[in-house]
Amino acid sequence: MSLELELRNHGPDLDLCATLPAGRITALLGPSGCGKTSILRAIAGLLHPARATIRMHGEVWSDSDTRRFIPTRHRPIGFVPQQYGLFPHLTALGNVMMSLRQLPATQRPARAQAFLDQVHIGELADRYPRALSGGQRQRLALARAIAREPQLLLLDEPFSAVDRTTKRLLYVEIKRLHEQLGLTTVLVTHDLDEAAQLASHLCLIDRGRLLQAGPTREVLARPCCESAARLLDIPNIFEGRLDSTGVSGPHFLEWGPHRLKVDERFTAVGPVRWGIQPGNVLMVRDDKPWGDHLENPVACRIVEHVELGADLLVWLTPDGLPEEMLQMRLPARALQRHPLQPGKKMTVCLRRNDLLLFREDAPHAASRPG
Amino acid sequence: MDWQSFSLSLQLALVTLALLLPLSIPAAYWLATTRRGIKPWVEGLIALPLVLPPTVIGFYLLIVLGRQSWLGQTYEQLFGQPLVFSFSGLVLASIIFNIPFAVQPIQRAFEAIPLEVREAGQCCGLGFWQRFLRIDLPLSWPGMLSAAVITFAHTLGEFGVVLMVGGNIPGETKTVAISIYDRTQAFDLDGANAMSLLLLAISLTTIVVSYGLVGRMMNARRPV
Amino acid sequence: MPAVLRLILIALVVLAHGRTTANEAPVIAAAADLRFALERLAEDFQATTGNAVRVSFGSSGNFTTQIENGAPFEIFLSADENYVFRLADQGLTRDRGSLYAVGRIVVFAPHSSILTADEQLDHLGQSIAQGRLHRFAIANPEHAPYGRAARAALQTAGLWPQIQPMLVLGENAAQAAQFASSGSTDGGIIPLSLSKAPQLAALGTFATIPADWHSDEPLRQRMVLLRNAGTTAAAFYRFLQTSEARRTLADFGFVVPDEPMKE
Repeated sequence: MSLELELRNHGPDLDLCATLPAGRITALLGPSGCGKTSILRAIAGLLHPARATIRMHGEVWSDSDTRRFIPTRHRPIGFVPQQYGLFPHLTALGNVMMSLRQLPATQRPARAQAFLDQVHIGELADRYPRALSGGQRQRLALARAIAREPQLLLLDEPFSAVDRTTKRLLYVEIKRLHEQLGLTTVLVTHDLDEAAQLASHLCLIDRGRLLQAGPTREVLARPCCESAARLLDIPNIFEGRLDSTGVSGPHFLEWGPHRLKVDERFTAVGPVRWGIQPGNVLMVRDDKPWGDHLENPVACRIVEHVELGADLLVWLTPDGLPEEMLQMRLPARALQRHPLQPGKKMTVCLRRNDLLLFREDAPHAASRPG
Repeated sequence: MDWQSFSLSLQLALVTLALLLPLSIPAAYWLATTRRGIKPWVEGLIALPLVLPPTVIGFYLLIVLGRQSWLGQTYEQLFGQPLVFSFSGLVLASIIFNIPFAVQPIQRAFEAIPLEVREAGQCCGLGFWQRFLRIDLPLSWPGMLSAAVITFAHTLGEFGVVLMVGGNIPGETKTVAISIYDRTQAFDLDGANAMSLLLLAISLTTIVVSYGLVGRMMNARRPV
Repeated sequence: MPAVLRLILIALVVLAHGRTTANEAPVIAAAADLRFALERLAEDFQATTGNAVRVSFGSSGNFTTQIENGAPFEIFLSADENYVFRLADQGLTRDRGSLYAVGRIVVFAPHSSILTADEQLDHLGQSIAQGRLHRFAIANPEHAPYGRAARAALQTAGLWPQIQPMLVLGENAAQAAQFASSGSTDGGIIPLSLSKAPQLAALGTFATIPADWHSDEPLRQRMVLLRNAGTTAAAFYRFLQTSEARRTLADFGFVVPDEPMKE
């Protein structure tokens, strides 16, 4: 049982097909303007794409073929828009009570208070939205959304207007609520860290198309195409050539003068785009002997290094590939043990399991994004 | 001091308001929420009385409502007296030339409601009428008050159209603006002055009080 | 609703209540030059019979158009009999009316003006020639008989082409009188009946222009009962033809025929 989507539209452009798991938090991640808010609005029924098939737990909410369309107000959803959409003329309690109109009037205040308590703003029931801080308004919008006891919770970049401390508190709140209620949640965000912290399922969206979908850890570790890699901020993307020694011999990746061993994923032959996470570029220490666990050594020369907080970023030029730049990430304390001077030689090791193979992007995403 | 013409003007203003506002609200709502291509045309039509001189409006109204017209003749058959030069004719003319004053402020008020707030109403499970009564109306109430005040004050002072369509019949169509004009031609400048001052005082008070009220109410409804 | 708003609404409703009683008094359309004379006559009528009439003053031409469009007047006192004949020809009147007075025009100069009022309009001619005249008021000849008479007189005096650019046109004879006396013009040609009224007489001097100077526009003032006239209107119409009424008209400067001439 899950949320099945098929959306096609022109202006805003949408072309995707996805299934989101029930009871989980799924993040729709993508740059600004990539259509993720449109997807959310289409799910809510606020947007009418040219073609839309939306099914929740098997129940059809939208179907262009049969012309079936359940209006927004009949969909069991809770929606938190980007600016919260709070009713300025009602108190916090009044806002939440708006979601409870199916209850008899006498029961509404108590129930609404319970939802306000659940998001820890119970004492603010009589305040108007303009007298609330950003984080409090966010909680109010959440309370109003869950008051409908929905099957699906939709959050549109809910944390973008909030400072960092409040953000963390809200992350905790969302996780807590999710554990209590077990709602299927769709979270739209452009923040990679946010998606990584909150979502168990991740969909990468670019220009209305789904690039990759899957469990968050997998997607982050193994982006499947170049656009996805760029979205995940992986700078090491290179051109290489796959070949094999003989008909049934092991495959290898030619990268300039370097020949890298690859694992069973790389079965094709011919030019290929590949990459590696900066954190997976391993430094080979001069004093430690060369062991079996190290493979694919690549000799490089250090170009520069920059400390960014707890991380040390090092840029290297591999021998024989003077135009290419390989980025490596080390903990900052590594600088103390191994002084790195520009121009100095260094050997790095790229384990075959860490190599990322990028499949061909779909035709209309051939150019580099953004 | 021609109290009869004052009372006539007040009645004209109140009746116009009572008839025009209920018609303006749905029209303004449609204009604020529709995306059809015909919208600019409708807005243009509604705005016409703002840009046309009152004599043009009065002239065309005289043709449309006058004895030679279908409308005028039908009215006369039903009610035994002509539509023009009667209070009913004035009310009709007044409604027509006040349309932009009533519709535009209400339309702006509806437009000022953020789309997110409206959609939030849908996401809370509210149907059309519930949303209209509980969200749109309370948030646009100051705009409606504004429309009412402007229409009222404008009708009190309208001269050109009333002169063309109403004639100058005491107790029937001799509104206060016409009466002041009449007093001037009768060389009763004191009388004209007294009436003008009173009209000025009424209009000013109405506008100041309601702008003050409207300002306060709009503050309470600022989107967050 | 705030208390202040409620209070205002109540006040308005109370004030607006005055109109409910349907006014039975008939409405009379009268040429603007009859302003003071007819107000007096209406008072006399009410004193004698206890019945009231409502009078609207304006230009005869405008009233004719309004009556043709269904305006509910019951008596029409025109400053030009041709308007009455026009209405009669369209069947809008009871009969072809009766001549109640012949009007006269005067040249009026407010006290502050450079102009001196003289019958032969000599000073007017001189002022124009010397370039000292700037603005001169008459009623609009398009729809006001007194305007046409003024034009005829100026043409007879040979001043019409020169004075045209300086003319200020009143919408009716009363407005012309207003312009002429207010000091914002140098003077004008206005009805004798208005000049004789105390309100105007105090503001300047005037001289009556010879009647044969506007013989084309004789200002034969005709009144008529309109088709829908009621009993009060008919009574007032008869009252206007009594010798007492004719004396009042004469006091206000109208030339009154000895016997009402019916045609």
